[in-house]
Amino acid sequence: MSTLTVDNTFEDPTRRAPLVLNHDDFTSVTEEICYVNESPRPPRAWYVSIAISSILASLFGLLILYLILTGVGVWGNMNPVMWGFPIVNFVFWVGIGHAGTLISAILFLFRQKWRTAINRFAEAMTIFAVVCAGTFPGIHVGRVWLAYWLFPIPNQMEMWPQFRSPLLWDVFAVGTYFTVSLLFWYVGMVPDLATLRDRANTKIKAIAYGLFALGWRGSMRHWHRYERAYLLLAALATPLVLSVHSVVSFDFAVSQLPGWHTTIFPPYFVAGAIFGGFAMVVTLAVPARELWGLKNFITMRHLENMNKIILLTGSLVGYAYMMEFFIAWYSGALYEMFAFVNRATGQYAWAYWLMAFCNVAAPQLFWFKRLRTSIPAMFFVAMCVNVGMWFERFVIVITSLSQDFLGSSWGYYTPSWVDIGMLVGSFGLFLTLFLLFIRYLPVIAMAEVKAVMPQADPHGHDGHAEGGEA
Amino acid sequence: MPPLNDGNTSGRAYWRSLDHLADTPEFRAFMHREFPAGASELLDSTDRRHFLKIMGASMALAGLGLTGCRRWPKEEIVPYAGRPEGRDPGIPVSYATCMELGGVACGLLATANDGRPTKIEGNDRHPVGRGAADSFAQAGVLDLYDPDRSRSVRREGKRADWPTFADWAQGHFGQERERRGHGMAVLAEASSSPSLLAMRRRFLEIYPNASWHEYEPLNNDNEVAGAELAFGSPHRAQIDPARAKVIVSLDADFLGAHRNAVRNIRDFAAGRRADDATKTMNRLYAFESEFTLTGANADHRHPVRSGDIAVIAAWLAGRIVDEQAWRPFEEDPAAGAVLTGELRATLEHALTDLQAHRGECLIVTGAGQPAEVHLLAHLMNEALGNVGRTIAFTPQPEQAKHSESIRALADRLADGKIGTLVILGGNPAYNAPADLDFPALPGKAGVTIHLGDYYDETATRCTWHVNRAHYLETWGDGRAWDGTCSLGQPIIEPLFGGKSALELLAVLVGDDTTDGQAIVRRTFFDLIGGEDEARWRRALHDGVLANSAWRTVTPAADRSGLAAAAEALHEASSARSIRTSGGRGWEVVFRPHPTLYDGRFANNGWLQEVPDPMTKLTWDTAVLLSPAAAGELGIERGDVLKITLGERSLEAAAMIQPGLPERCAVLPLGGGRGFEGRICTGAGFDFYRLRTSEAMSFAGGATITKTGGRYELVTTQDHHTIDVETIAGRSIQQRLPSQFREADLEEYRHHPNFAKHRTHVTHRLSLFEENLPHQAGEGDYAWGMSIDLNACVGCGACIVACQAENNIPIVGKDQVKRGREMHWLRVDRYFQFAPRNDRYDPNRVTAVALQPVPCMHCENAPCEQVCPVAATVHDADGLNVMVYNRCIGTRYCSNNCPYKVRRFNYFDYHRRGPARTQPGKLLQVETDYFRKKPATPDELKQLQFNPEVTVRMRGVMEKCTYCIQRIAQARIDAKNAYANLPQAEKEKRKDRRIAIPDGAITPACAQTCPAQAIVFGDLEDADSRVARARKHERSYEMLEELNVKARTTYMAKLRNPAAPGSGESQGDGARDESPARGDAGHSGGDAPH
Repeated sequence: MSTLTVDNTFEDPTRRAPLVLNHDDFTSVTEEICYVNESPRPPRAWYVSIAISSILASLFGLLILYLILTGVGVWGNMNPVMWGFPIVNFVFWVGIGHAGTLISAILFLFRQKWRTAINRFAEAMTIFAVVCAGTFPGIHVGRVWLAYWLFPIPNQMEMWPQFRSPLLWDVFAVGTYFTVSLLFWYVGMVPDLATLRDRANTKIKAIAYGLFALGWRGSMRHWHRYERAYLLLAALATPLVLSVHSVVSFDFAVSQLPGWHTTIFPPYFVAGAIFGGFAMVVTLAVPARELWGLKNFITMRHLENMNKIILLTGSLVGYAYMMEFFIAWYSGALYEMFAFVNRATGQYAWAYWLMAFCNVAAPQLFWFKRLRTSIPAMFFVAMCVNVGMWFERFVIVITSLSQDFLGSSWGYYTPSWVDIGMLVGSFGLFLTLFLLFIRYLPVIAMAEVKAVMPQADPHGHDGHAEGGEA
Repeated sequence: MPPLNDGNTSGRAYWRSLDHLADTPEFRAFMHREFPAGASELLDSTDRRHFLKIMGASMALAGLGLTGCRRWPKEEIVPYAGRPEGRDPGIPVSYATCMELGGVACGLLATANDGRPTKIEGNDRHPVGRGAADSFAQAGVLDLYDPDRSRSVRREGKRADWPTFADWAQGHFGQERERRGHGMAVLAEASSSPSLLAMRRRFLEIYPNASWHEYEPLNNDNEVAGAELAFGSPHRAQIDPARAKVIVSLDADFLGAHRNAVRNIRDFAAGRRADDATKTMNRLYAFESEFTLTGANADHRHPVRSGDIAVIAAWLAGRIVDEQAWRPFEEDPAAGAVLTGELRATLEHALTDLQAHRGECLIVTGAGQPAEVHLLAHLMNEALGNVGRTIAFTPQPEQAKHSESIRALADRLADGKIGTLVILGGNPAYNAPADLDFPALPGKAGVTIHLGDYYDETATRCTWHVNRAHYLETWGDGRAWDGTCSLGQPIIEPLFGGKSALELLAVLVGDDTTDGQAIVRRTFFDLIGGEDEARWRRALHDGVLANSAWRTVTPAADRSGLAAAAEALHEASSARSIRTSGGRGWEVVFRPHPTLYDGRFANNGWLQEVPDPMTKLTWDTAVLLSPAAAGELGIERGDVLKITLGERSLEAAAMIQPGLPERCAVLPLGGGRGFEGRICTGAGFDFYRLRTSEAMSFAGGATITKTGGRYELVTTQDHHTIDVETIAGRSIQQRLPSQFREADLEEYRHHPNFAKHRTHVTHRLSLFEENLPHQAGEGDYAWGMSIDLNACVGCGACIVACQAENNIPIVGKDQVKRGREMHWLRVDRYFQFAPRNDRYDPNRVTAVALQPVPCMHCENAPCEQVCPVAATVHDADGLNVMVYNRCIGTRYCSNNCPYKVRRFNYFDYHRRGPARTQPGKLLQVETDYFRKKPATPDELKQLQFNPEVTVRMRGVMEKCTYCIQRIAQARIDAKNAYANLPQAEKEKRKDRRIAIPDGAITPACAQTCPAQAIVFGDLEDADSRVARARKHERSYEMLEELNVKARTTYMAKLRNPAAPGSGESQGDGARDESPARGDAGHSGGDAPH
């Protein structure tokens, strides 16, 4: 394989920037991507990180057990802050889960070809983030053993859930989102699973990959059906990208709490979610491409594109922050005005300004191309955004609840050690799942990457001999 | 035979005969299925193997599954043959009884459910309480089931039993009798019980050489001494705030700590109802050191050190009675310094007011004030013509002076002159004056016998301890403040076989009657002069002996002591004055604890957890200091201070409380118990250790230093409500005018419906059609509540009543710290501060807002819309009900509740117990719900539970239900009454709803409210009190701008400051100089925004 690298971040209107570097045939692409799964042992960093993250994931499990046995009092939740870290974490993880489907579906529909290098693991990230997100509302209820009452299951009480409650909408929105994302991810993976099946060198691998490859043989009919299905799922998933976080935002917007009761929430939450999701993709992509040598596929141009989206959505979020203040002032409502002034100057002002710095100030660095294409700079900004987006939810949930209408009922929320343990533990779960994914599933959509290489273009060079290979 | 109509299925089927019909295939099949088939199976012979298989399997199943391995609990079924008359199992019964506290009895009704007392209420036939009761009475039932109660007689710490003690006592007291009680002493609690008095006389007859001592840490010694100075003999003041137009309180907490507060509150509230055409109400001036409920309800309140009250009294007396009173102070610049600025101006107003309302004003003096101040007040009341009108007196010939009494006992004990000491209740080892060193004294007597509820500080130092029966377990009697005699009857057999003081004394005097009932009967018949069984039964039923109040007298006060008294006061006050110690000394004021009383209720979870009405502090006592004092010492809430008074010193945590005088520290008694109870351990600090017999109520010249230590103090209300430096604190000041609406009386006269205009509600139009099926006017009933803020004094009895009625758990200090207290009803307390530039001055409290907040039962309830499982819904009567079984605990409802009245059971607080700190953290796993048989909470505690109310488990939201169990009961009663009507009557009412008469339902909070501030009823009934209250011009809905359509509404508060509205005529500073003004915190009557 050539060690030559090409800078593909140039902006030359006469020339299309290559999306895959240093590859001139499809075989080498397959070899290089499959190596991640097929190498006899993964890099040492993989072992170290999965050891740490699985310990944290087990901690998460143990804490959940402790919580269920003891009661939700083990958290810091209190009156008036009845929702604490669990809901902050829920909204945070749901938000992370946005980038994957956005990249897969919306960018697919808009024919953004650069998506192909990152869509697979962005989707995986989505699934795992939603798994983490889904855990929290489930365990955060007071009587976990009755959480299934949230679902419209026929029962002897002849009770439906209460359809006016945004929490119920959440159940449907997140449930649908998870299902469609999972399907989308899986369907997209079928040709690549078949590749792994075909290359399997052990029986177990052959059976496992074979089972999930659904008998894919790469016939024209398969391809035809596959692309149809993929397009349809993309069309289905697209509105979900917008709807799921809008619905999550309804948890707040539909209530009447000052600081929650805000019509800007749906678009603001969606922008924030994309913002946070892309930051997480960058956070994961930077070390992943480094460790597994995927720089030829996840190129600097990919990262730069994502950074541009981070800049855009970060600015949108900043606009929303300002607009909230403007509307609060413009409303003239005592409680509204207080809620926002208090956010910026009250007992949680530190959280607010941390959020504002991380989400609004830090991404502005991306106006500069040098920083946009600098690995340390983008990693710094992405980490800022990860922290900032968590604190955004903290600010929304905690500051609004802690000081609402009646001054007598105000309180100061302090998380307990279980809260912090669960936040860390949920990262453990997320990373464990992600590391397992990298090791055992095709981390880049090989079939799609090949399709965006110049060789795939029948009007270009004649190098599409392996075009039919899956 | 084939049927003829075969193939003709499209038309009608005709049969020739029934036989023909019977031959159709359908019928044959039917017949076959119905009878012959089953029968034919029966006829089949079962083969032997099949039979054995079935039988074997049945045997195995029967043996394995059910009977073999299970041991059913052995139960005995006893026929309820001797059913008492009128007793239906499951129907609660109320009995009249009485509870004595500090020598004053209050008449109560105890409700028993199948023999378990579960709830205490005021006795509505008692002329003092008239159905109301205070927190102590409400919480009394919990003491009965306190697992820490002493459960047996003990001899030198070892378990013994009552017969052993009785045997021993017979021998021991037989010898004592021969010595005629020489070297014997009794130390009793104050008691008004006629039986105990009779027993005491008997005791002293048998043991004439014995001495009888009486001690209460909170006593009326100074009052008695003051009355002696004025009238020559002990008298008790009977005040009538209802008839007073102007009341001046000299450090007197007659609405709080006073033992007749229940009545005083009602009378005071009655004098403030300005609803008639004249729109007049009383005016209260309060000069006080601690911030009491009385001060909180005053129209003018001035923080004055307790020691300086004498100056005020002398100044007033000098103008009202005789110049002599003021003369000693005249030349004293220190005294002059007290009467400056705002205080001087207010005092002038008060004087004018008093003189303008001769015969209808009242000066009340605090129990802690020296006798001379009481004398001055008596003289002033007399000079103003109040005696016999707003104040009268009842002679107290047997009234002891407690400090002197216990000092005499201590001296004799120290000299080793006491052979036998009997302590009848009380806990002197804890609460006797510190200079007596009482804990060491019982050991100096030959033998000591202690009767008490707990094996406490005193009991452990005594030879014998006899466990006392709770008042609900024993017979007794007592007199109210005005002398009204009540009988106390047991509701339950003593749980631990305890004895009452009467029963113990009966043994000591060798009485032939040792049964409590017999003793009380005997006294009763002595009292009414004859064995009138009917009157006994009547009195027992009513709980009160009609017309047994003492006759009031109007003794002439002796003015001759005036000059001497003034001289004495001046001397004492300048000796005590903090100014004499170079301006560095502090005054310390010992005050009764508003919920722990003198510390005897320290192990009562309800009273520990119900917040102090003014500080909102729970589970602790602390040094109360003003913000200015805190600034001077450089301390914050929770800093540990060292207080030195004379040679005694103590470390205790500081609590910041606005509205205290400068250089004055208030020390509430009742904390820091040495007794290791599961509630009281570690709660608060023991300020008795600083309290000496010379200074029982306040002392000057203390020094206070900061130690640098920290102690966690926990309040139920966040500190923002007193913190005006932050935006949050200022915001509270801004929103108060719309949340807690109030006006001066003058404004009310001009704008009777001011309350409707305090906030600007633009419109209540909705974009959508509001589909509220249970809006008022559509259901059968529409329950609603109205809370009159003008009547409410904020005593908090309603909180405890609610807790008792609704099985509300206590959560413990650690959980209160996390804001998880469970009270369904709270009383919000806000201070209004004087504006200073564009800010507020935390050192100048202009008024206090006290606002009870239960669930508002919104018609358009925000909580209901967000519950995903429909666990909170509206019922047919428009109540916002909580379905505990349906709740999964998302807690969304609480987030969306603008009043924050919902409470969540984070742990299973009933089972968990109120651990002060969370012990063991990780290990404290509670698996109760996952075991087959859940562990029960403490069985004793279970006995208290109200069976009409679900005991909620963990993970479930709960809140005020308007006492739905009481509503249900009233509805059932009404329906039964309807069902029993004659048919003709029923026909007539067929189309109408079944009427529940107004007043048939009283929620627990309304029931106990001494001020009768809470009114509950049916809004459908236009004549109901609540419907009328709602239509009242002062009625308003809190947060009405949210359009939740609350069913609980408030009636705005009125304040009646002097020189209302016309500040100009009083000189330029008049408005500022009346700091108790209601609306000084906001401008005029306009909305705040």
